[in-house]
Amino acid sequence: MSRKRALIADTFCLTKRRRCAADSVTDGAADIRSSLQYLMTMFSRKLFNDSLPPVVLKHQLYSLHNDKTSVDKQVNELRENGELLMFQLGFDSEAFALVFAEDYRTKVLQGEAGRETLGTVEKFLAKLIPGCSDLSFNKEKMLKEFLFTDPEITQLVKSGVLTVRDAGSWWLSIPNSGKFIKYFIKGRKAVLGVVKKSKYGEILKTELEGRRTTSQVKFQMKYHIHDIMGAELVECIQTTSGTLLRYVDGNVN
Amino acid sequence: MLSFLYARQSGLDDPVRLRRAESTRRVLSLKLNHNRDVDRIHGNGINTLDIEVIDGRYMLSGGSDGVIVIYDLENNSKKPQYTCKAICTVGRSSRHVHKFSVETVQWYPHDTGMFVSSSFDKTMKVWDTETLKPAEEFQFDGNVYCHHMSPVARRHSLVAVGTKDPKVQLCDLKSGSRIHILQGHRGEILSVRWSPRYDHILATASTDSRVRIWDVRRASGSLFTLDQHNGDKSKVSSEAVNTAHNGRVNGLCFTADGLHLLSTGTDDRMRLWNSGTGENTLVNYGKVVNESRKGLKFTVSRGCSPEFVFVPCGSSVAVYGLHSGELITMLRGHYNNVDCCEFHPDYQELYSGGKDCNILAWVPVLRQPGIEDDETNSKRGGTQAAINPAFEDAWSSDED
Repeated sequence: MSRKRALIADTFCLTKRRRCAADSVTDGAADIRSSLQYLMTMFSRKLFNDSLPPVVLKHQLYSLHNDKTSVDKQVNELRENGELLMFQLGFDSEAFALVFAEDYRTKVLQGEAGRETLGTVEKFLAKLIPGCSDLSFNKEKMLKEFLFTDPEITQLVKSGVLTVRDAGSWWLSIPNSGKFIKYFIKGRKAVLGVVKKSKYGEILKTELEGRRTTSQVKFQMKYHIHDIMGAELVECIQTTSGTLLRYVDGNVN
Repeated sequence: MLSFLYARQSGLDDPVRLRRAESTRRVLSLKLNHNRDVDRIHGNGINTLDIEVIDGRYMLSGGSDGVIVIYDLENNSKKPQYTCKAICTVGRSSRHVHKFSVETVQWYPHDTGMFVSSSFDKTMKVWDTETLKPAEEFQFDGNVYCHHMSPVARRHSLVAVGTKDPKVQLCDLKSGSRIHILQGHRGEILSVRWSPRYDHILATASTDSRVRIWDVRRASGSLFTLDQHNGDKSKVSSEAVNTAHNGRVNGLCFTADGLHLLSTGTDDRMRLWNSGTGENTLVNYGKVVNESRKGLKFTVSRGCSPEFVFVPCGSSVAVYGLHSGELITMLRGHYNNVDCCEFHPDYQELYSGGKDCNILAWVPVLRQPGIEDDETNSKRGGTQAAINPAFEDAWSSDED
C-alpha cells in the first residue's frame, strides 16, 4: 500500500513547499552542473592570463542550493564519473576547489606545451582523469599503482600538478594556483571588511553587489558573495527587501 | 491531521503513525510560552539538566555555583499559567554541596531515589534524594567533565566518568570500586555516553579530536575510532587522519534507538555516525557554532517521524532535521549562552538552561480552542449555553 511509504514529514512541509516553490531549485545532478557553470562564468580568466581553468569552491554551491547533503552527494557523483576534480586548497581544511576535468586537462597541457615535463604530465593526467578521485597521493600509490619513477614524480611536482604535503605524500593541485589563492583570500577579507564596516554590521546583498570594489578585490563581487554566504562567514537573513548579509562575530578572518 | 485520525480509525494506518505525526507537528511548533516558567534558583549559569525517565515528572539541574535543584514539572493546578516549582535544593548552605561548578547531573535510570552529580571540584557524588546527602563520593585527580550511567543496563551499574585524565574511568555503584579503566585517548575526555541499545557499548569524546567506541566487556582497547573521512586518507593533512573532528570533540548524543551517534566539535561541525560500523553518514548540517571549552550537552527528539536535533548554538537553540541536515528553526529567548537542553518525550517540550541562570521551557503551541470552550462555561455559571462571542446578539434590544 502506497500509504505506508508516505513520509509523515511531507504532510507538514506541504504548505511550506507551495510558498517557496518560486525560489527553490529542484535538485538533480543536471542542476548542480548548471550551478557550477554559472559560478564559473564569474571566475575572471583574464586576471591570470588564461593560464588557470575556472575554479569554483564547493561551499559556493551551498549558497545556491538549500540541501547541503544532496549537494555533497551530487558533487561526489560527478567526481566518480570523472567529470569534476576536487582539490584541497591549503588555507582551510574545509575549502575544496572544484574544476571541470576537461578544463583542467586543457589548461595543464597548454601550460606544459614545449617543456620537457610534458610527457610525464600527460601520463599522469591519463591515469587521473577517468578513474581516480583522490585528493592526495602517497609514495606507494605513485610507485606501485601508477608506475611512476622517482624522477618522474619530481617532474610532476616541478610542473605544479602535485604539491608536497608530507614526506612521501603529495596533494593534487592546480598549476599556477598560488596567485589565485592569494587574490582569493585578500578579496574575501576585503568583502568581509565591507560588510563589517557597514552600519550595524549588515548590508543588503543587492547593495553589496552594487558597491565599487576596492583594489584588493580582484574577482567579481558576486563570486565573493557566494563564497562568504556558502562558507557561513555571514548570516543570511531573508527580508522583505531581499537577502540581508550580517557579519558574524568570531570569524578568524 | 484529520486524515491521520480517519486513517487510524478505519485501520488504514498503524496507530503509531498518528502518534508520530502528532509528535512531529508539536515539535515543529515549539515556541517560548509565557504560560510556562521554571523557578529561578540558580545564581550562576546552569550547566546541566536531566529529566527522569520513569515519569518524566522531576527535573534535576546543576549550576556553576555548585548548587543542585530538583523541579517538579507536572502541572497540577488547573490553570494554564504554571511555574515549575523547585522542590528541594542542595544549596550553598548544605554541608555536602560541591565546592565548584557542577558539570553533569543524572538521575539513577531506574528510579528517582538516587542521582549522581560530578563537578570541577574533582569529585563525583552519589546522592540519596530523600535526605539529600551523598551516599558515596568518588575522588578523582583532575576536573570531572562528564559522567553517564547506562539507561538500559540491568546487569551492571557502571558509571563512566570523563576527567582531565586521558583514561576513562568506570566506577561501579554496587561495589564502590573504580579499577576498570579504558585507555586509548590522548587528551581530556569531554563527553561520555552509553548506548541506549546495548548495555556494554560506550562512546567517549576527547580533546584529541577523536571519538572512540568501547565494548566494556573486552579487555583490549576500543572497538574503533570514528573517522570523519571514512578511511579516505587522501582528503586531509597527515595529522588529521582518523579524527572525528578538526578540533576538540565536546558533545555526544545517541539517537533514541541507539543506531546513530551525533558528535559536535569546536570545528563548528556536527556529524552523524552509524554507531554500528562507525561510518560517517556525511549529513551536512552546515556551521554549528560551537565555542564551548568544556562539554556541550545537546539532545535528540524521541517519537517523531523525522527526528530533530536540538543543539545549543550561542545564545539560541538550533533545531536541525536529523537525517536531512536542514536547519528547521532557531529558538531564541536566552540572554546569554545556552549550555544544555533536554527534551521531554511525553509532552514534546524542550527545557534549556544557560549562563543567564534561566531555564526556559519551549512548549508546542496548541491549536486555538474551538467554539465549545470549557473555561468560559465555568466563568458564566448559569443556565446559558456556551456561545461564541461572534454569534452573540449584541444589537437587538429586549423590547422585541
